[in-house]
Amino acid sequence: MKNNNNIPRRDFLFTGLLTAALGGCNDKKNPFAQDEVVLTGEKVKLLSVDGEVIEIDKAFLKPIPDVPHLTNAEEREGIPGKKFVMVIDLARCKNLRKCQSACNHMHQVHPGQNWIKVLGMEDADHTAPYWQPTTCMHCDEPPCVKVCPVDATFKRQDGIVLIDNERCIGCRFCMAACPYSARVFNWEETLMASQGGSEEHHHHNSGPTSVAHQVKGTVGKCDFCPEMTRQGELPHCVSACPNGVFMFGDLNEDTVTNGAETFRFSELIKDKAGYRLMEDLGTKPSVYYLPPVNRNFPYESGLEKETGDEK
Amino acid sequence: MKKLNIFPFQNRPTLLLFVFAVSLLTRQLAAQEGKKIVKLHYVNSNNRVQYLLLECVLKKGKVLTPISNQSYKIYLDSAGTNLISNLTTDETGKAKAFIPPSLKAVWDASSQHTFIVMSDDEEVISDFVITKAKITLDTSGADGVRNLTASVMKMENNKWIPAADVEMKVGVQRLGGILSAGEEDNYTTDSSGTLIVEFKRDKLPGDQKGNLLLVAKVEDNELFGSLIAEKKALWGVATKVDTAFFDQRTLWSTRFRTPYWLLFMAYSIIFGVWGTLIYLIRQVIKIKKLGA
Amino acid sequence: MSNLSTLTNGRRSAEQITGDLVPQPFGKRGMIWVSVLIVLCLIGAFAYFRQLQEGLVVTGMRDYVSWGIYISNFVFFVAISLVGSLITAIFRLANVEWSTPLTRIAEIIAVSAITFASLIIIVDMGRPERLYNLLLHGRLQSPITWDVIVITTYFFISLLLLYLPLLPDLKILNGQKTKNLPWQNKIYTFLGSFWKGSEEQFKISEKAISILCIMIIPVAFCIHTVTSWLFATTYRPGWDSTNFGAYFISGAFLVGSGGVIVAMYVFRKYYHLEKYITELHFEKMGRIAVMLSLIYLYFNVNEYLVPAFKMKKSEAAHLEELFTGEFSLMFWFAILVGMIIPIFVMLFKAGRKPFPMFIVGMMIVVGAWFKRYLIVTPTLLHPFLPMQNVPDNYMHYFPTWEEWAITIGSLAGALLIITFFVRIFPIIPIHETITEQHEKAEHISVSK
Repeated sequence: MKNNNNIPRRDFLFTGLLTAALGGCNDKKNPFAQDEVVLTGEKVKLLSVDGEVIEIDKAFLKPIPDVPHLTNAEEREGIPGKKFVMVIDLARCKNLRKCQSACNHMHQVHPGQNWIKVLGMEDADHTAPYWQPTTCMHCDEPPCVKVCPVDATFKRQDGIVLIDNERCIGCRFCMAACPYSARVFNWEETLMASQGGSEEHHHHNSGPTSVAHQVKGTVGKCDFCPEMTRQGELPHCVSACPNGVFMFGDLNEDTVTNGAETFRFSELIKDKAGYRLMEDLGTKPSVYYLPPVNRNFPYESGLEKETGDEK
Repeated sequence: MKKLNIFPFQNRPTLLLFVFAVSLLTRQLAAQEGKKIVKLHYVNSNNRVQYLLLECVLKKGKVLTPISNQSYKIYLDSAGTNLISNLTTDETGKAKAFIPPSLKAVWDASSQHTFIVMSDDEEVISDFVITKAKITLDTSGADGVRNLTASVMKMENNKWIPAADVEMKVGVQRLGGILSAGEEDNYTTDSSGTLIVEFKRDKLPGDQKGNLLLVAKVEDNELFGSLIAEKKALWGVATKVDTAFFDQRTLWSTRFRTPYWLLFMAYSIIFGVWGTLIYLIRQVIKIKKLGA
Repeated sequence: MSNLSTLTNGRRSAEQITGDLVPQPFGKRGMIWVSVLIVLCLIGAFAYFRQLQEGLVVTGMRDYVSWGIYISNFVFFVAISLVGSLITAIFRLANVEWSTPLTRIAEIIAVSAITFASLIIIVDMGRPERLYNLLLHGRLQSPITWDVIVITTYFFISLLLLYLPLLPDLKILNGQKTKNLPWQNKIYTFLGSFWKGSEEQFKISEKAISILCIMIIPVAFCIHTVTSWLFATTYRPGWDSTNFGAYFISGAFLVGSGGVIVAMYVFRKYYHLEKYITELHFEKMGRIAVMLSLIYLYFNVNEYLVPAFKMKKSEAAHLEELFTGEFSLMFWFAILVGMIIPIFVMLFKAGRKPFPMFIVGMMIVVGAWFKRYLIVTPTLLHPFLPMQNVPDNYMHYFPTWEEWAITIGSLAGALLIITFFVRIFPIIPIHETITEQHEKAEHISVSK
């Protein structure tokens, strides 16, 4: 079973910052460049484990310290030195759709639409059916980005394909171009806007990002939760899945994790014969699948959700 | 036809009032439906900074939703007197508290402390007891074998003694998780409070110099809470930040990185055709001048 | 000029020709026609107003069928506009003399169709007010950018090709100011008062027209090829075809010639132009239309038979839907009515008489409209990954009344442009007709 991952990764880093601030007892620099914190300059005094009185920046009083606000250009560049990948283990999926509901909730996806779809797949008459969660593949040769006339959808250096909803003209060419049907369109007033105070809401749910929130008349899709990864945390679908189906990580770290278990990416892909969808199209996805062998659940256990959902 | 008066409200104000009352009632029912759960975590990071993390979620069926704007008071050992902090949960339903220097005397007085969470005058959590503990992480390497040594000490009767049977993760800090240094997911300390893990992650990519951030982490131990120790080691492979992939001029690049062949083709066609068109418009102007 | 009036052989004098061809006020039927078109346009405008307010949710389009009749209508407009280059440019370069009375018909169809093609593509946009982003952030890698550039170019070339041959006629119209209404005179003076008909002006104009005729052909090929690439540059079954550019162009020439045939018949009938648009013109256009239908049929066979032979998994579902499934009725209607029946009718001499040609022209145009629908929609209903986890209405597509209203409104708008054009300008070039008759008369007198 999976532990709840309630201690954010960035708690490691503030000790680093703290020791440096307290007199530079070592010269170690924070190796995770994206984890920069906006320091307030104000200090608070606190008691250490040993009962010493130490000082720390006020920014760390928040459960998740603020990360710097990014300009549109910085957001489009992405995080230097990162290359995000996802591994989806089909042997563990039983169509619970916790990923879907968490994603829909956090991104305020319009009712009826989904950024993650869990598809009941059966490749041929006599092959075994399986559940396949499908996200945006964040392709390295993204066909959707190729066709965008205004740079509204773009590929970042960390591999994430994003949409700038303040620029998108709503031509929907990217939707036609995507062979994975990953993209959805905001056909009507978005949930955020219709609930009022869109700006505030957007900041809460999608963090400090200046792009990738939903606007009527523009395209939306799975965005690998860039505000979460920038804070060193996992995308919502990854932490929402109780079966550890989704594993996320940085290819440059050669590691993927579902929060509870952490694997070396290259070994995992080798040992479990990982593959990508529609390799022949040359899109080079960033999402890898592990085949549904030695399954944790029978396919049928997921059917309940399927029938219940359609009513 | 005779109108059937089956509707009890003759005028609009009453109807509105009724609707309002019903909506209030259903709202209250909906609020009662879920169960509010408050959780407290104690974290000790590198034996220096310690803090408390409070989590507040609403459990409705199987769905957990964070609740924001919930106010709590946390006390050390005795409710009402030793106030640690007034907390209000944020949008993620979390709030964080440091132990203030004013409680130094209380903190130093005992090796075991109870944290009490109160909401208004009600004790929400009263049995959260933490024993002071320390964690250390050391590296050693000889003959090509690299070892990680982690040890946990706990305080008993104002003395630091080894803590046995403490389960932890030992490995490399990665995005969102710890990649175990050895083959096991978790390791447990022996009677001397120590454990040794052989580092078996060969050629693991590190930072630009090859540094790895090694971590030993005890997570939510029932005696000690969470303990984290970090250490940097040059045990990885240096990785370069390679943006060559991103800087290419391809069909999927931005408009600032359009492939040269495409620029050449497009502009030669555009200038060719529009040059001719401008020439033709000048011809029309010429015709106009001839007639003037 | 004066010797023109002394023409023999039953030919009509310059004054008679001018009298026959100058724009006529709308009659009662004309007024009804215009009113109906305006009402249709207004309904379309109201539907668009609703769409602007509510968003594209008022359409039947959803995440799978993300392009609907707006796009198929756009393709239809671009297709029919290609006829301008066929009749004006290709015929001119091939020295086809009988096409003179048809050039302006073709050119105004081209201009009005391309105008509404651009409008309908804006209607399809989720954020039309951000159109300026194409200038601000335009990206040359995208086929949409190519399409925008090439459509603008084609529009200007077509406009010039409409305008330059109009200049001598404007002089004739300016010469009979008393017969025109004041607002007409204003237009004629503004557009053509400078045309004196001097030899130098003619020389420049002739040269410019020649350049335009050469230039419009590659540009016309470009607009429809690029339009086909909006589909062919994706991976989708039914679109992922190297045949697409040629397939689209051949279809475009066919629907364009169908449109011209219909227009020829209507103008001939309504304005009594039997002496100018003769049975010979129908006869010749019939032969051309047969050829174009056969070419289009050929590309259709390529487009459907080759993938149907292999029946790749992704293609199979799409093709079965077309051949025998949900769209089969429309598919076979488009193939039979849009191509095969016209070919059989026009193969017979009797079939190339004006009235059968009018019917055939209508069949070609209507068949072509549905053919465009079949190119766009069924493909989108057959994505690579199965359609699941979506509301029921995401799995089907049928245009809503707003979509129909806007589409019909745009078609009405295009017809309205043509109608108003005919009211203001002579639909058959007066000057060229006079000159040609003159030349013919001279030819006859020389041979005598």
